[in-house]
Formats: sequence, C-alpha cells, structure tokens
Amino acid sequence: MAGKGPKLPLQGLRIIDLTAVWAGPYATRLLGDMGAEVIKIESPNNPDLLRALSLLPPGTEKAYNKAAYFNHNNRNKLGLTLDLGSDAGKAAFFRLVAKSDVVIENYRAEVMDNLGLTFDRLKQAKEDIILISMPGHGKDGPEKDFVAYGTNVEQLAGLVSVSGYIDGPPQKSGISYGDPVAGTAAAGAVIMALIARKRTGKGQYIEMAQREVLTAQIGEYVVGYSINGEVPQRLGNRHPFYAPHGCYPAAGEDRWVTIACRDDAEFATLCESMGDPDLAHDPRFREAHLRHANQDALDEIIADWTRDRDAQEIFSQLSEAGVPAGPVLNHVDLYHDRHLRERGFFQSVEHRDAGNWDMDGPAYHFAHRPTSIRMNAPAFGEHNEYILRDIIGMNDAEIAELYQNHITSDEPNMAAHQ
Amino acid sequence: MPDTELHGPLSGIRIVDLSQGVPGGYCTRLLAGFGADVIKVEPPGSGDPLRRHGPFADVDNPRESGALHLYLNAGKRSITLDTSTATGRDLLEGLLKDAAALIDDRDPGVLEAEGFDTSTFSLTFPHLVVTHLSAFGQAGPYSSVPSTNLTSLAMGGQMAPTGDPDREPLKNGGYQADYQLGLNGMTATLAGIWAADRDGSGDEIDVAAMECMASTLELALNQYCYTQVDMWSGRRGNVLSSAIGLYPCQDGYIGIHAMPRNFPALARLMDAEWMVESEEFGTSAARLQHEDELSAMIYAWVGEQKKKEAYEKAGKIRAPLAYVHEIPDLLDSPQMQARDHFQHVDHPVAGEHVYPGAPWQMKGTPWQASRAPLLGEHTNEVLATLGLSSQDIAVLRGGGVI
Repeated sequence: MAGKGPKLPLQGLRIIDLTAVWAGPYATRLLGDMGAEVIKIESPNNPDLLRALSLLPPGTEKAYNKAAYFNHNNRNKLGLTLDLGSDAGKAAFFRLVAKSDVVIENYRAEVMDNLGLTFDRLKQAKEDIILISMPGHGKDGPEKDFVAYGTNVEQLAGLVSVSGYIDGPPQKSGISYGDPVAGTAAAGAVIMALIARKRTGKGQYIEMAQREVLTAQIGEYVVGYSINGEVPQRLGNRHPFYAPHGCYPAAGEDRWVTIACRDDAEFATLCESMGDPDLAHDPRFREAHLRHANQDALDEIIADWTRDRDAQEIFSQLSEAGVPAGPVLNHVDLYHDRHLRERGFFQSVEHRDAGNWDMDGPAYHFAHRPTSIRMNAPAFGEHNEYILRDIIGMNDAEIAELYQNHITSDEPNMAAHQ
Repeated sequence: MPDTELHGPLSGIRIVDLSQGVPGGYCTRLLAGFGADVIKVEPPGSGDPLRRHGPFADVDNPRESGALHLYLNAGKRSITLDTSTATGRDLLEGLLKDAAALIDDRDPGVLEAEGFDTSTFSLTFPHLVVTHLSAFGQAGPYSSVPSTNLTSLAMGGQMAPTGDPDREPLKNGGYQADYQLGLNGMTATLAGIWAADRDGSGDEIDVAAMECMASTLELALNQYCYTQVDMWSGRRGNVLSSAIGLYPCQDGYIGIHAMPRNFPALARLMDAEWMVESEEFGTSAARLQHEDELSAMIYAWVGEQKKKEAYEKAGKIRAPLAYVHEIPDLLDSPQMQARDHFQHVDHPVAGEHVYPGAPWQMKGTPWQASRAPLLGEHTNEVLATLGLSSQDIAVLRGGGVI
C-alpha cells in the first residue's frame, strides 16, 4: 500500500483488529487513517453487528457491504474472515500475529482467554507483540463479567449523574458517548506502547476499562468532591461561574444558538450587539457573580432577542463582535457546513458494492504527512487472498481448505444479528 | 542496547505546553501521567487560567488549590514565562531544542502574534512536533471565531441529539468538548512523535474539536452522508427505544441497554421470562410493535428497584443493566475499590485528596500518581538546564519575564 510521497505517520505498522461495533473499530479507524495497516478479522458466522445496521430496504443485495455505519468506521482497513474458534483459524491467526505489531480486541472480558488467545500465548507467536483489551469494567474485579453496553458506560463512569437540566433527572448523552472516547484513548495507548517498545525492545499488555477512561473525563468532580464533600448539582447548560452560558431559541423549527460570556467585556459586547448597551450596567448583571445569581432573568432577556433571529446570523454577528456563540448544528447541518467543506473534511469515495458518496475524512491534519481515505471499508472477506497468501504465506491448498471448512468465507452468515 | 525498564512509556520525553485551557491541560495531563516530562509554561502573575476554577481546597490560596487545576496539571513541571517578550521567546526556544512536542490550545494565531515563526520551526527544531488544539482548526471560515466548551459542543453535533424532545438541546456534564479535543490531541501528538522519531523530522498537527466530534455521531452523519435522507434529527430524551433507556428507580436512576441477544436475560431479571416465548415480545420485530407496552412494563419494574441491588442481581445473570453512579457511588464502587482505581495524592497547599487513577493500565510501564505543581515551582531548575545562573534568573524575575 506504500505510495509515493511522504510516509504516513503510522506507515509500516501492522495491527490486527478483532473488534466490532463502535469503540474498538473507532480506535482502528484512527490508526488506519494515520497510515497503519489494519487487518480487521470477522468470523464467517459472527460478522460485525454494524453490517446488519444498513437501514436499507429488506432484500437489498449485499446490504452487509453497504451499511454506512460500518463503512465509515472501517475505512482504511483490510478485511479477513476467520473463525477463531477453530484450530485451523487459530493457527492462521498466530501466523498473522507473528508478522504484526499490535492486536486489539474489545470482546467481553473472558472471551480471549476462553479462545486460548492470552497475552502469553500471543507472545509465543511474536515476542514483542502489543495486546490491548478494552472491556467495559476491566479484566478483574467483582463486576468484570457484568454487561456494559454503549449507553451504560457513561452511567457507570459518573458522567450521567452530572448531566441534565437543572432540577431534572440525570440525562444520557445523545450518542453512546463512552464508545468514541474509549476508541480514541485506545488508539493513543497503542502508540504509547509502540514508543515504549522502541526504547525497551518489549511489547506489553494494555488493559482499558471503558468506564475508567470516561471517569478520567470528569476528574475535576472527583477532586472537587474530595475537597468539599458535596455531591455535584446538575447545571443544565450553565457554567459554575460564567454567565450568561446557555442555549437559546432561534427562528425556525427546532433551531437553537448557544452563547457564553467569560467576562464583563464579552458581556458588554453582547449587550451592544443586542442593541441594549445599558444592560451591561444593570445592577443585576454588571459583574459575573451578579449575572450568575440573576441568570433566570438574564436568560429571558437574551431569549427574547434570539427567538426571532436566524441562528447563523446570530453566530456571525456575535462572532465578529468577539462573543463566543455557536448554533446547535445537527448532522445535516454538518454535512453542508461551509467551514468543514472548505477544510476538505468530506472526501468522495467510490465503493465496489455501495457506490459513491461523501465521507467524513481523517480528523487529524499532519502538515508534512497528509492523511486521507486511501481505501474503502472492506467488503466481507475482501482481502482474504492477499492476507492469507501474501502476508501469511499460505498456498492454494491451505487456503482452499479454510474455505471448504468454512473457517474463512466471502459471505457472512447474518443469522446472529436477526 | 535499549533501556529495558521505563517508569512510564513516555519517560524522558519532553513536552512543552503553552496551553491555557482544558483541552491542552487534559492532553498533557495524560502524557505526564504516562511518564512524559511536561513543562507547563504559565503566564507570570496569574498563571494558568485553570487555576481559577473552584472548589478550592484552601480559600486563602485559591491559585494553588482549585479542583480543575489540581486534577489537570498533576504530574507537570511549572515554569512562569512571558512568551510575548523577546527574552521569553528565546528561553522558550531553548526549551524546544530538547522537546519532542509543543502543545498549544490557545486561539489560532496567538503563537505567531507572540513573534514565533512556526513556518521556520522545521528548520530550527527539525524533530519537533507542534500540535495545535482548537475548536475549529487553524484554517477555514470559522478559524478565528471565539469559542468555549459550550459553543464548541453545539457546533460539533453532539448537543443536537442530547436532551428532551420538548426542551432545548443539552450539553453533557463538565467540559466534554474540551476533554475530547485534549484526548484526540494526545493521540495525534503521539503519532507525530512516533513518526518524527522514525523519519528524523517533526510535523505540525492541526486538531479541531468540531471535526473530532462530527466524526463520532454514532450513525447519524454516516447514514446521512450515504443516503441524503435525514432519519435522526431531534432529541429522544432518556429513552431511545423500549429496552434502551434511563429510568427512575426508588433511590436513583437505572439504565437498561438490551440488545436482541440480551433480552432473555432482561426478562429473567424482571421475573417475566414468559415474554421470551410470547407473541408480543418474543422477537425484536414484535417488541418494536409493542414498544409502548414493553416500555410501560420496564418503567414499572425499575420503579420498584433499588439501584445497587438491581445492578448486583443483573450482573450475576448478565442482564444489560447499570445504575447512574453519583460521585460518592464511584468512590464506594466495589469494582473501583477492587481495582484500586482512585488514588490519594498529597499536595503542599491543597492537602491530600482523591484523584482518578490510571485511565488505562499499561502493564509494562505503569501510570504515575503525582501532584500539580505550584505556580513557577520549577522555573529555577528548568532555566538552570538552559545554562542560566541564579543571578540571570534573578534579573529575569525582576523584569517580570518570569
């Protein structure tokens, strides 16, 4: 896959990806975007669940190769199908491990051990291998076998308890927020281990409990509780001491704009922009702590100003004046957003089975090692031949036997996800 | 021969951090925890703005004892330096000579406004990785737009689906746009350091919160990109479908996330195993048709539960249930305690407090528990490594440069 021009940041590294759904595949999407050769392994009888979430009409041909959720999160990866429950599948897997740098998995805590794919066993195949596991609760402790799916992780991490409208219940994030956070962290942890390997000559085992990674993103609440012993209150869209700091209605259906002032000067500018410069001197609002105490009244005044205005116009006007403001953008807005388009964030792709469309590209921009969508997400089993023959070194007979015994396949059995 | 024992995977790797916000703070907090020598450059006088956020452990010395600072700056060395002066610039450049990376989360253009010409960095510091963390990136129509965690979250797309359908969109707790930017910044920086070491040449990395968040909207953006049909607008509150949601129980809130294969375990937990064989609830398709009935049953059942008991019971039979952990629940969690997750760390001003421990465990090269520095605590020792005498340092201090 090496092209001309500068090397990509992680070019030359080979990563075996045993993950499915979102957290793990997001980690390897980032690593693949940055140039690592990622080999995604799926079982013929248990393909990635995302292949079943195409949302295309029933009966769509090869819908499993057309699911956008799958294709976005698995671009820049090669695809191999292999049944790791079989001896022949394991044997092929260990031959691949011998030629790889990293193995990443996000099975339930006990699955790798039950398959006999322990870190010690992997080390026998490749002395300096790096293995990362990312179960919900970790690999030990009394809750290690508890189920923790997408929306559960942020509940376990403590984040949900501090999210929610004032006087309302705790509120879930609009996405399964723990997944991309764990995925991003896992990509970083892998590179850390590679940096350490280069200096020590040793690989290592990384254990990432998804709930712990997310607790790290509310660390100030833990330290704060240790300081004052008070269970933190939910603040809605407000800030512990800045005001105004909220989400206000704008013209149109379900249109909103956020505005946040960090100091008196920004507030004075906001008042001027609203055509009411005297408001900055109102005894209720002239200092941060007063504005904070009188937020209900202040929010009403601001909402009266925003209500009949266009969110984008408010954004332009306040930004130009120097007040932090941002319309609440949804995925449709983002797809058409002029800033993202001008930065080239969306790249057009052409997929063997799924056709053409614009896909969100790599989020990190390296000035001297430019990244891109180099290849599409693998069709099921698309790179079986290349990986088994060219990387592992199997001959025709060996490969034919794997197909014959359904240890590898070009067609998924989707029954597991019906 | 390589050194085979490291205290952290990044020990001995120097990172210079000019950041003044949560994004850079979290990025380098993670790097420091895994052993990097992070030199945090703070403005003389007030120091890092993160120092202004309470609660404060010592109200008489808030600058050294705010929770956000104690947490995010732990493990770093602090020097004070006015980087907008010529001398400050020279000293910073001295520090960069031995640095693997420079992290900056200030607004685009600030570094250049201080007199640094980053276009010549690749000549002056051939190995250096410069990572810019910002809401919108270094270029493009929004690049100079002022932003905060709130406005950044709104424009990244994660706020639109969060909250109740009949209310305004909601941010989730704390500084999640900023934390995500910091985490992504860490990962990108590490890739940059890896490549710089391999190729003998550094890089300049642009990470925008808006792009990081737009990349992670579950399937909403993906599906729209592909089909141009909008199926996901609006907010769905705390309940996504009949068996995925957050429900009030007797002493808190319980979350259920039942995938088709976990439904039997959930039914068993509810003492309603008959559902598995029933016409109304036996299959995913049937459950979809009887969503309201199922939802009502789950609400009623959860309403009678106590959070910890239900969680224990569910765990034993692998039913997909968790409860909303408040901060005290985290500290009391049998799981967190068994894993020794939280760490007690002492601090000369703030005293001993509880901190989250390793965000992940690198078995060969462990996480370091350490405290936040006092403002300028390491100015003398760091400048001494640049060959400055104590007399030179005193002159700089008198001039307000440090």
